[in-house]
Formats: sequence, C-alpha cells, structure tokens
Amino acid sequence: MIFRELALAVWVSLKTSGLAALIASALAVPAALFLAGRDFRGKRLVLLINQTWMAAPTVVIGLLFYSLLSRNGPFGRLGLLYTQTAMTAGQVFLILPLIIGFSYTALRQVDARARLTALTLGATPRQAGWAVLREAKYALLIAVLAGFARAISEVGIAMMLGGNIRNATRNITTSIALETAKGEFRNGVVLGILLLIITLGINILVQTGLHGRDKG
Amino acid sequence: MAGTRGDMSSAVYRLEYVGYAYPGAASPFTLEVESLNVDPGEILAIVGPNGAGKTTLLMLLGFLIQPGRGRLEFQGSNPWASDASVLQARRNAVLVTHHPYLFKGSVADNISFGLKLRKIPEAERPELLRSALALVELQGREKESVSGLSAGQVQRVALARALALRPRVLLLDEPTANIDAGLGLRIEAILREVSRESGTTVVFSTHNFSQASRLADDIVYLSGGRRVEFSHENCFSGTAATDGRRSWIEPRPGVRIVFPGERRGHLTCIIDPADIRLFSADDGAAPSSGPNVFAGRVTRLETTDAATALIRVSGELIFRATLPVGELEGKGISLSRSVLLKFEPESVEVVGPQTPERSHD
Repeated sequence: MIFRELALAVWVSLKTSGLAALIASALAVPAALFLAGRDFRGKRLVLLINQTWMAAPTVVIGLLFYSLLSRNGPFGRLGLLYTQTAMTAGQVFLILPLIIGFSYTALRQVDARARLTALTLGATPRQAGWAVLREAKYALLIAVLAGFARAISEVGIAMMLGGNIRNATRNITTSIALETAKGEFRNGVVLGILLLIITLGINILVQTGLHGRDKG
Repeated sequence: MAGTRGDMSSAVYRLEYVGYAYPGAASPFTLEVESLNVDPGEILAIVGPNGAGKTTLLMLLGFLIQPGRGRLEFQGSNPWASDASVLQARRNAVLVTHHPYLFKGSVADNISFGLKLRKIPEAERPELLRSALALVELQGREKESVSGLSAGQVQRVALARALALRPRVLLLDEPTANIDAGLGLRIEAILREVSRESGTTVVFSTHNFSQASRLADDIVYLSGGRRVEFSHENCFSGTAATDGRRSWIEPRPGVRIVFPGERRGHLTCIIDPADIRLFSADDGAAPSSGPNVFAGRVTRLETTDAATALIRVSGELIFRATLPVGELEGKGISLSRSVLLKFEPESVEVVGPQTPERSHD
C-alpha cells in the first residue's frame, strides 16, 4: 500500500467513526438521561430491546441498511449506498444501543440526591439534568469512547455500505480484510496495530484533556 | 404559635388546607396542613417523630413538590403560577437537605454552583464564597476536594453553599442530626446569627424537642402527616433550688421537677414525651413516690400516627407522653383513665442561662 492510500484509509476511519460516535452520543445520552430519571410502563422492555440490539452483528445491520439504501430500496433514490454517509449511518445504528446502555448505567450510579440538590440551589430542570450529567462525566466519556472504538473496529457495515472503494470508502478495517484476502498478512497485522495505536492515542488525549480541565 | 402572630398579609408563607400525597399506591402517606403562616425573619421549628411529614413539609416550602390541594402562598402570591415564578420562589427559599449531597469537585465548585445559576458576576463570587465559608468556620478550604470531608464538614459546606446565596428563606432538614453535639450547637449559633443579622427566615425540622425550644420563635408539631396542636405541656420554667447533688424547679408551689447537678437561676425544663413512662393508676407496678412521679387523668389520646399514640395527661401539671399504639391496651391506658407518670431526673433537659448540659442527639 502506498502511503497516501494508507493515510486516506485512516482518515476515512476517523471521519466516519468519529462522526458516528458524536451523532450517536447526541441521541443516546439524552435518551439515557430520560430512562435513568423516569419510571414508566414498558421501561424494562425498552431496556431489554436495547440490550438485544447491542448484540446485533454488524453484517446484519449492514444488510438491513443495504436493503434500505440499495437502488430498489425505499431510500435508494438518495444514492447513498457505497458512500461514507452510509457507513456513518450504519455505525450510528450499531453503537447507539451501546452508548445508551453504558450511559444509562453511568447515570443510574449518580447519587439520586444530585438532581434534587441542584433544584434546591435554584437550577431549572434542564440545568439539574446537566448537573447530573456532570456528576457522571467520566463514565459517560467511557461510554462515548466505547462507542467510537466499536465503530472504528467494525468491518461488516463498512464493507457492505461503503463497498471498500479505493480512495473513497476504504478504511482501516476494510483494508485489513482486503490485505488478508490478498495473502498480505504482514500488511494486515501492521494495519491492525495502527488501528489500536490510533484508538489508544484518542483515549489518552481525551482523558488527559478532561483531567487537565478539572485540575485547572 | 406559628400562624397566630404578625400581619397575615406580610407572611412569607401562608398555607391553607394544603395537602400532598406521594404518587403511587405503594406510598399511602399524605400530609395535611390546615393552616400555617411564617413571618419574615422568624425561626420556625418543625418538630415530630420520624415519618411525621417534616421533610415533605420542607419540600413543599422549598417548592420542590407541588401541593395536591389547598393554597400555598409565598410572599403574597402563588409560586406555582408559572415555571418562572416557581423558579424565582425556589431561588428565594433554599433547602439544605438531610444528609446533604456535595457535587464532585472542590468546596469552591459547590459554593459557586448556585451563584453561577443566579448569574452573580464572577468578580463578586470570591467574596461571597469567603464570607460563607467564614460563617461555617471553614475559611481557607475553598480548593479542598469534597471527597475528603467528614460528615460534619459536609454539613457545614452544604450550609455555606446555601448561605452564600443570601436567600430570603433558609430551609433545613434536621441540620444537626448525625453530627456531634458541639458542632450542632455551632450550627444553631450560625442560624441565630443569620436570622438576626440579615433577617433571613429560617425553617428547620428536628425531632429534638429541646433544640426547637432553644432556637425557634415558633414550633409546629407534626404527627402522622397532620399538624398536631402544640402546647407547652412538657416545658416548665421556674427559679432553680439545689441541694448540691440535685436541683429542682417548682412550676407550681410544692410541685417539683427534679434534675441532676447543681443549677441556679431561672431555668426551663423540658421533658421529651418519649422519656415519660405511663402506668394505669391501678397497676401494681406503678411508682407511688420518688422524684418526678405525677398523677393525672388522660384528657387527650390521639392516634393519628398508626404506630404512636400521643397522650395528654392533666393533673397538677400537664404532660404530653407518647406510647406505641400496641401498648395502650396492655397498660390499661385509655381516655379519662387515671394514670401515674414518671420520668428520670436525667431525662430532664435543662435550658437556661448556661449551656445546656446534655442533648438528646
């Protein structure tokens, strides 16, 4: 693989999975806050469905989105199949339940008095919600990072919805699959190690930044 | 009594037939307050046993729960009229909860929380923070993490967090429970100072009868979610005499209330209703003589709380005692029955010019 091609694959991985993690977090954290703060009929069923969804294989999600986005599918005319947008959409669907589940657990572990205390000090309900989120910020960050890690390391969705198109939708994991299929195992291992280093670097950067801001 | 003095129109709180029931069938508890007025600058104590409804009443006064029925006015208007008005009311009446919670971070982070919500300019915050910490004797601890604080320090930081907001009303749920007696007295002194210096209205709950008598201008007694008419049956004043080993006052000529130690001067003696033992007059085990034995007749018997009966005994003096409902029959206690009551001299809380010698907490 030439360097430019490799750099582009890394960029596609970071872009699609980073965007997927951001979009999924924006949906999942409020949903988890809602679930953690309220008891309602059917809540257990919602949590059960979420847990089941977490275990959905990436190829199944890929297949589902493929059928929706293919030329004859209901969203075929949007022309999204084999694009980075399709990859991101599939990855959002993949990691959404994971971030909801982790965030829900994190928020349930926040002391129940936190919200009440914020209200007694004059917070609006929305500000009280933010106060609860702040109390769980490290655990929520882990949830988001876990979602990102799941997205960047999956191959089924990227392959089915991205199509592994050179210099367009090829990312690290589809490159590994391709190199392995070609018998270039060394390249595959190098790419795998690169993927782990990128994930480690992002984890260190985010966590250092958060701790640093706390101390400051 | 709260609600009987002052100009009604200037009352900070005015409650009429306020009722609250916790949602859900699992909690049958309801609070009913027929009438309550709290005047500006007043220190009001809400006294009652566990489960009496003290916390629920404070939550209502802090606008954290909305009355299910009745009328609750705050500074002459309905605080629940709109989201904006309830927020404004909540910002004027700050509640320090029982077992207060401190947000993760530093002492300063916690005290700044409410100041930021009120958009107090950043330049003014350090001074408010310092003065609040000085009030609770924690000056210089701004940067300390709350994770290492003791229970007493947590209580003081929570109090400072509320005081820094300079609220019109300070609500405190059992502010001295679970802390040592010395710190409890310091907190009492702070509340007195805040009320005196800044005219803050203070409403606090306690199950400590003597603390309520020491600190409050008015006392509301709750039992089983109902306001029970409070009278000073167990609160007696007089000039103390002593034989060196024991002292006594005579609320009526020849009728002594005896307590240990050597005390002089004008004193008030308070006997916790739970410390009074009751016997039917024809009970063979009833004490016939000794200090603090009194005869009387049961003139009121209330069982508003499913577990506890409140009993008024009228004789040479009037006492209020409590007894588990299940023991009424076995002890032969019923309305109009002649009874004897006894309490130990050590059970007498003495409040006077000196520091109280002991506390129930």
